[in-house]
Amino acid sequence: MRDAVIDANAPSPRLDPVKADAAKADAAARELRRQRERRTDWYYRIGAISIGVVILLLWEALPYFDLVNPIILPPFTKVAYALYTLVQQPFFPRHLLITLNEIVVGFLVGTGLGLGVGIALAVWPPVKRLIYPYVVGFQAIPKIVFAPLFIAWFGFDQISKIVMAVVIAFFPVLINTMVGLESVPADARKLMRSMKATPLQLFYKVSFLHALPIIFAGVQAAFTFAVIGAIVGEFVGAKEGLGYLLNLYNFQLRIDRAFAVIVILAGIGAAGFFLLEWADRKFIFWRER
Amino acid sequence: MSQVPNIGSEAPATGASGRRRVIETHGLSKIFTLSEGSVTALRDVNIAIDEGEFVSFVGPSGCGKSTLLNIISGLLPATTGTVLLDGEDITEPSHKMGFMFQTPVLLPWRTVEKNVLLPAEVQGLNVEALRPKALDVIEAVGLKDFRHAYPKQLSGGMQQRVALARVLTYEPEVLLMDEPFGALDEFTREAMNLELMRITQSAGITCIFVTHNITEAVFLSDKVVVMTPRPGEVSGVLDIDLPRPREIGTMKDPAFADLIFEVRSLLGRHVHA
Repeated sequence: MRDAVIDANAPSPRLDPVKADAAKADAAARELRRQRERRTDWYYRIGAISIGVVILLLWEALPYFDLVNPIILPPFTKVAYALYTLVQQPFFPRHLLITLNEIVVGFLVGTGLGLGVGIALAVWPPVKRLIYPYVVGFQAIPKIVFAPLFIAWFGFDQISKIVMAVVIAFFPVLINTMVGLESVPADARKLMRSMKATPLQLFYKVSFLHALPIIFAGVQAAFTFAVIGAIVGEFVGAKEGLGYLLNLYNFQLRIDRAFAVIVILAGIGAAGFFLLEWADRKFIFWRER
Repeated sequence: MSQVPNIGSEAPATGASGRRRVIETHGLSKIFTLSEGSVTALRDVNIAIDEGEFVSFVGPSGCGKSTLLNIISGLLPATTGTVLLDGEDITEPSHKMGFMFQTPVLLPWRTVEKNVLLPAEVQGLNVEALRPKALDVIEAVGLKDFRHAYPKQLSGGMQQRVALARVLTYEPEVLLMDEPFGALDEFTREAMNLELMRITQSAGITCIFVTHNITEAVFLSDKVVVMTPRPGEVSGVLDIDLPRPREIGTMKDPAFADLIFEVRSLLGRHVHA
């Protein structure tokens, strides 16, 4: 029902026969069009799956026929087997949970911080004029350079990785919150003023909800960034976690296992993304898609 | 409406129509200061509007008609002069007035019904007690079956009806409209004109209507105020004494054509600019 445009002049249920026939023909034409669309949808779906199959076949065939060195690129089936054995190792759950924890905490704290600072910047222009130049300056720095510093400051444990994830994740939320709140149409503000709405009412009845679709796009980016932050933090110095495992297997030239860890990380990233995508569709139903 | 002598504020007077005076402006001017210099948007506007009157402001872009409406609504301060609503100075928006814009400004996450109840919520009134009233108004604008629909499911004309319903639940004494049907096609605009007339007449609401459509202004109004730009000034006021109720057939009336021509001549060279 979301996409249905209701027409005030739509034919009423009681129709004369000629109009009824026309309506029937119209419905039939619409049904035909829908069937055709559904068929095209399937063609594209099959096409997309085929591309994936071709990539997997190449991945399997190239090392198999020695077109690339199997040590550099182990065949797909070998990676799949490495994944199968890796998840059964007794040490695996501990590494997985540590990294998941870093990602989720980093994502939540980063999102909260981005929201708070973004709202402050949008709502109080003096605050924006005072600190926005520093926010932009900070964003211009590639945050990865802080990773060794964070290890020095916060140690080899999870804290330094969480801080890294927060630092990378909070920025897209901040910018989108600020831009979203500032993009409230002038007429909507005027309407609320003409009703003598308080600034607080303007914020929670109009501005925040208006900004929410834009904020949520930032939140989705924040999750992906939190994954990057946690892994980079672990690369630089860690005793445990998936990033630590990946580094370890690289050094040991167990590339099949390294690939297996990458597959798991890709799965975490995708799961988070689709979970947020689902939440977006459910809660921000008015978004123009 | 009569030309107001500049005698300052007084107790609510009675207009020429014998009805209560609702709005008066005295020597209203607005000067915008821009980086390139200052612009006189309005100069010495003196108007008076009686209860239940439908008054249109017509003029080309830049004649200050929207600025005037914003000042009357209390959203924009005047540079000089005063606006009186029921004899009292207006310095901020009042619950006695409702505002309608060219865009419907509906909140896309609210259903028709909840959009219509927004003013009640903002004013901290009892929403449940007002719901029946809101439903009546929604029915009056012809959207009874769409009360649970979301704005994007509605056509442009229907969205503007929701905006009308929203402002009517207010039960405003004065309805301020800034080109409310300017974005609609000609057929929808006509339908909306008829509907607006029917509703505001039966409720006895005083209407101030800004438009650049001369036909619309003459068709709807008891008075048409013609404004000319640079600086924004009132160049004349026309009484529209066409009989009511008016219908599309009213436009056939030779008097209708005469009035349109009179408005045009008051606009003078500005219609060809």
